[in-house]
Amino acid sequence: MKIRVEFDSGWEEGLLNKIQSDGPWANWELYKLAVEVEKHLVVPEFEGLQAPKHLPQLKPLPHQLEAAREVVENMHGKAILGDEVGLGKTIEAGLILKEYMIRGLVKKVLILVPASLVSQWAYELNSKFHIPAVAQRKSYVWEAYDVVISSIDTAKKQPHRDIIFQQAYDLIIVDEAHKLKNNKTKNYEFVQSLKKKFCLLLTATPIQNRVDEIFHLVSLLKPGHLGNASLFAEKFKGKKRDLNEDGRLKELVNKVMIRNRRADTGIEWTKRHVETVLIEFTEQERALYDAVSAFRPYANESVGSAFSTLTLQREACSSRESVFYTLKKMLQKTEDPDAFYETKLKPIYALIDSIEQNSKAEKALELIKKIDDKVIIFTEYRATQMYLQWFLKTNGISSVPFRGGFKRGKKDWMKDLFEKQFQVLIATEAGGEGINLQFCHHLINFDLPWNPMRLEQRIGRVHRLGQEHDVMIYNFATRNTVEEHILKLLYDKIQLFERVVGELDDILTRLDIGKIEDYLIDVVGHSKTEGEMKIKMENLSSMISFAQDIKKGEMNAASGNS
Amino acid sequence: MQQAEIHKFLIQYFKSNDCEIVESHPGYFVVQLTIAQDKLLMNRPFYWHYLEKTGGEPNPGKLTFITEPDLAPDDIKGEFIHFGSPRLHQIFETTKQLSSYIRLFEDCTNKAQQNPLYPWIGLNVKVSFQCNRKKDIFLSLGLNLISGKIHEAFHDRVLSLSVTPKIPDYTYTLSPLIMPKSGISRLDSHIRTSLSFEDHSWAEEAFTRWQNDLELLENFYQDQEKGESYETEKEALREQYEPRISIKVINGGLFYLSETAI
Repeated sequence: MKIRVEFDSGWEEGLLNKIQSDGPWANWELYKLAVEVEKHLVVPEFEGLQAPKHLPQLKPLPHQLEAAREVVENMHGKAILGDEVGLGKTIEAGLILKEYMIRGLVKKVLILVPASLVSQWAYELNSKFHIPAVAQRKSYVWEAYDVVISSIDTAKKQPHRDIIFQQAYDLIIVDEAHKLKNNKTKNYEFVQSLKKKFCLLLTATPIQNRVDEIFHLVSLLKPGHLGNASLFAEKFKGKKRDLNEDGRLKELVNKVMIRNRRADTGIEWTKRHVETVLIEFTEQERALYDAVSAFRPYANESVGSAFSTLTLQREACSSRESVFYTLKKMLQKTEDPDAFYETKLKPIYALIDSIEQNSKAEKALELIKKIDDKVIIFTEYRATQMYLQWFLKTNGISSVPFRGGFKRGKKDWMKDLFEKQFQVLIATEAGGEGINLQFCHHLINFDLPWNPMRLEQRIGRVHRLGQEHDVMIYNFATRNTVEEHILKLLYDKIQLFERVVGELDDILTRLDIGKIEDYLIDVVGHSKTEGEMKIKMENLSSMISFAQDIKKGEMNAASGNS
Repeated sequence: MQQAEIHKFLIQYFKSNDCEIVESHPGYFVVQLTIAQDKLLMNRPFYWHYLEKTGGEPNPGKLTFITEPDLAPDDIKGEFIHFGSPRLHQIFETTKQLSSYIRLFEDCTNKAQQNPLYPWIGLNVKVSFQCNRKKDIFLSLGLNLISGKIHEAFHDRVLSLSVTPKIPDYTYTLSPLIMPKSGISRLDSHIRTSLSFEDHSWAEEAFTRWQNDLELLENFYQDQEKGESYETEKEALREQYEPRISIKVINGGLFYLSETAI
């Protein structure tokens, strides 16, 4: 076949100039050195990784090196890096990027990550990989620097968007790419319209419940790899099928996806110890909980009322402040605030006022003192977060807050303060993603999220590579509340907390119950009696155990054991 | 490159550029940069601009390089240099930049008579084979500008000769019959011809991958409008897979060599 051959003509011109002006000519010693240098820089093989030779201080793990090699050699530089949380996807991406840079295949790079991770990526690429990556702060960085890290939200906005489209990027990296599973979003459209010569999509949860999500993700990377939209829709219409059940589909996905699991890596992981801490309400707290349970804000029992009751119940288990905040918002939305306040809210406000202590917070304080080491507290509610910070402060314990909404610099600063000065970090859900806190190994779940994957992400902040201690997880639940039901009947039964990461998404997909969170709301919100709810929850947990047993059976069969 | 080679390379580099090695120890050394080297390596154009404007006393930097941390005392502050360190690659670049063009004369031992020197053009090149993967080879070629004879491994041959930048006594140069410009293009065709005998299965495989992915792309856009994103994807596939070979000159120049040299 005919291959295009280019001869660099710039050198020739230079030589003719030198001849004409009779020098100046290079020094022979330097000339010899340059040849020697070039002989060292030449990469004589298509195969193999050069990057490790350039990174003597980095000690990549075998599965990371293998992933990098696989992506470069067999996936041709377009891949989903879908390792389980904490296995070092960033390291894999860094190795691949470095390899391409050394070989001169990649120069311009755009790295899109959640805002909270921008500086961390910049730091890691610079310090671990000697890649001069800059965090986007001003609009001129796009042109002035070769390797730029930015959040999608910034990149997709003007004037950045237009400038980005004028750059010729060789490699696009997207972190937390599961957020691109919906092809109708602006973020999806933005990433789709970028030119992707090479592309890495990083995600810890590539297989969610729906196969169409994996279709959209793969189509970003390699349009047509899973067929086109209409064919795909037809084939999988209405089926929330488990990817594993469709051999052909699974095989195709595996061609573009690396997925290492903790169990396969052969690395010794520290253990997780889980302790359930049951809390008794005070009389006043119980009164508030009962009141919000009976609370029917709107005359007609319309859609969503089960949900709002449930929200208030969960908040009552967290703090009176969070209940108050939600009620206040409700009040602002009603058409006749005065009447609403008089008839509906006044009695509840009175109950809120009567509460003298937060039993959970007292327990947390006791525990923190006993632990006498760094502790992370997770709560779902901002009002609780603020209350806790105040409460701990009055008891002589300084803490730092952490929220998803913080600006990048503030997040780094908070993390730094926590690492170096303060004993406690109080994070809300949105703060759960994208910070690495492996220097801490005590985690208090002040209240529980109902989506088990979110819980896994919380734990993943501390239980990851680099964690040297066993991780202690304390789950707070108030006795005889919706919280206890969830904890006892669901989480405890399926031993969610001790489970290794990654098993869960498999199991949930297998169950075909759509979103587990919606299901739980349905069970708890629409059950007419306590008994009915218990039965439904029992059913759910036996389904999960059943799915788990099948999985175990399959794995045994696959490995030839019985 | 091993650490010892890096150490040797750095010392040679600075010596060749007239920088004084202030301290030399196994595992680390201190070098006093010249003004020219400071400008090349220290990345502080404003300082030099300011100094030149104000006529101040120039104070070029002094650098400490550590090549074997185990051998260097703990209290030494310096840059640890290894094969991947940006500083080393900066010096690599500078080395190449400073040595693109050379002219050398063979220093003949026979001083009894007038010695004619034949003009050669020598090129050191890197040939890169690129698709979605890449490999390179290093080639050194010389062309006799009178006879048109081409010699491979030219650089190694010159290394074995005694050469000097000034025309030695008792020698004279013969005028070339082939002009340097056409000499370069003869070498270019020589490389192209020899490349055509190479195994190019890598390119055929890349081409197949390219066509496969194009087919998938066509299929994906089968029943939707082929807009801008289709064109973008298509162009991305070309950039990803298209096989190409590039020949890049590292350095080279004119060499005047005795009849018996090659």
